[in-house]
Amino acid sequence: MEISLTTSNIKKKAAANTPSEVGGWSRIFQPFAKISKQTLIIMIVLQAIITITLWQITSDGLIPKPGNIATAFGQLLTSKLLLDNLLVSLGLTLKAMLYSIIITLFFAYASVIQFFKTMANFIVKCRYLTLTGLIFIFTLLTKDGSELKLSLLVFGIVPFFTTSFLSVIVNIDKQQYELCKTLGYNNWQTLYEVIIVGKADQVFEILRQNFAIAWMMITMVEGLSMSEGGIGTLLIKFNKYNDITNVVALQLVIFITGLCFDYLLGAARQWLFPYTKLKTGVAS
Amino acid sequence: MTDHIKAEVILKSENINLSYDDKIILRNINFSIKNIIRPGMLQGQVVSLIGRSGIGKTQLFKILSGLQQPTSGNVFIHQDKKVKAGDMGVIFQSYYLFEWRTIMQSLMMAAKQNSALKGKEKEAIKTYADNFNLSDHLHKYPEQLSGGQRQRVSIIQQLLKGSDFLLLDEPFSGLDVCVLDKVVDLLLQVSISDELKTLIIVSHDIETAVAISDTVFILGTEEGKPGATIKKEIDLIARDLAWQKDIRKEKAFMNMVEEIKTCL
Repeated sequence: MEISLTTSNIKKKAAANTPSEVGGWSRIFQPFAKISKQTLIIMIVLQAIITITLWQITSDGLIPKPGNIATAFGQLLTSKLLLDNLLVSLGLTLKAMLYSIIITLFFAYASVIQFFKTMANFIVKCRYLTLTGLIFIFTLLTKDGSELKLSLLVFGIVPFFTTSFLSVIVNIDKQQYELCKTLGYNNWQTLYEVIIVGKADQVFEILRQNFAIAWMMITMVEGLSMSEGGIGTLLIKFNKYNDITNVVALQLVIFITGLCFDYLLGAARQWLFPYTKLKTGVAS
Repeated sequence: MTDHIKAEVILKSENINLSYDDKIILRNINFSIKNIIRPGMLQGQVVSLIGRSGIGKTQLFKILSGLQQPTSGNVFIHQDKKVKAGDMGVIFQSYYLFEWRTIMQSLMMAAKQNSALKGKEKEAIKTYADNFNLSDHLHKYPEQLSGGQRQRVSIIQQLLKGSDFLLLDEPFSGLDVCVLDKVVDLLLQVSISDELKTLIIVSHDIETAVAISDTVFILGTEEGKPGATIKKEIDLIARDLAWQKDIRKEKAFMNMVEEIKTCL
């Protein structure tokens, strides 16, 4: 009764059809070539060593050497200064992302209703507005620095979140709506099944993809109200005293924190929505 | 000829026309399907809609299932009920299932739409899963199933919904010989599950579709006229070519297949 092409069969067939993974180092310069995991790791380590060595050799004093940055990075990690400021920034970012995703989901889900569609499309266009030009208006509209930073962040993030989520909705396979119709679902049931339940995993993917934007904005908005601290404030202070070594070390912290969040959101998506782990490729 | 009675009309396509801009796709599609009763037997029927690729079969399929509105004309079921989306069981060529739902959840969604199963949804799912050899797969996701398993789930899903009509779009497309026989057996099993169960198969695979059908409608074009229409209706029961297991070996069957081919 069964058609023989299961996922595992397809993977095996795909593996059999791809060129051999072992084939020497020349493969790393060939288009579409597959390399073994071991070769990949060795290649990355070598690339990193070469980059750091070149950096160490060519640094002329103005640009800090990797060794100095590593020392500053180590000192930053053990200091209470970094932890306190990092927690402030993370708290603000997560709060802004939470508000942003609530607003985004409301307008994205409602975008299938004509009355809200225009609003959602307008929000998408708002990504062309610059935050710098709106600081004064937001200062007038908010009570304090904390509220100002949060509202600016939310205003900055929502258009990007909405753009991503609307694109998911627009690209929904027609078959999903048709299956709902054949099951006798009304439009509200279809909205719930196809968009709210069916695309719940995409919310995590959008968060993951757009976390970088929020994380990039945080350093900018924190400079507007420095009394509460944050890594943006710390960065401004280091810049003010031309402490480039600490600036780069702090950038490294920001970079690693971003990568950690990227990984965590990806893992959370797979844990909450196990079907996302199952790759497509089953014959129909 | 096998003893049978053609009773009331259970599906009627009345003057269906479909055009996109100035292009006529379907023209004056008129046909009806009657309830076939075999004394002493409890079985439904299989109707095939045969046509060349690209002739407009899928459009007609969608119109019959209520998923697409024709430019003019109507489809009625059970005498005078205008068909709307959800009235028919529809099985697409891709056997699409929601990838975020387990098989059990997908089947439950369909069962809950059927008021006759209220409170007995789980039992009904279990019975169908047992009959269709899917009991071990109920807690899997569609991506974990083979194409054949997904096809069976799609069929069960639409059966659980409780519609008398089951529309199948190209159910034999892309299947190898062994699987094809199993799908044919499966469809026959479904067709005899209920007196009013009517399978409407839209296909370009003449031999396979006709071998299990009671009635065949040929969709084709007429010379000098734009758009496809029903060119011919073949009553296989009248020709004594229905309800026979080894019908393909019969000379009369082969002649009829040739007759259909020349008509396309």
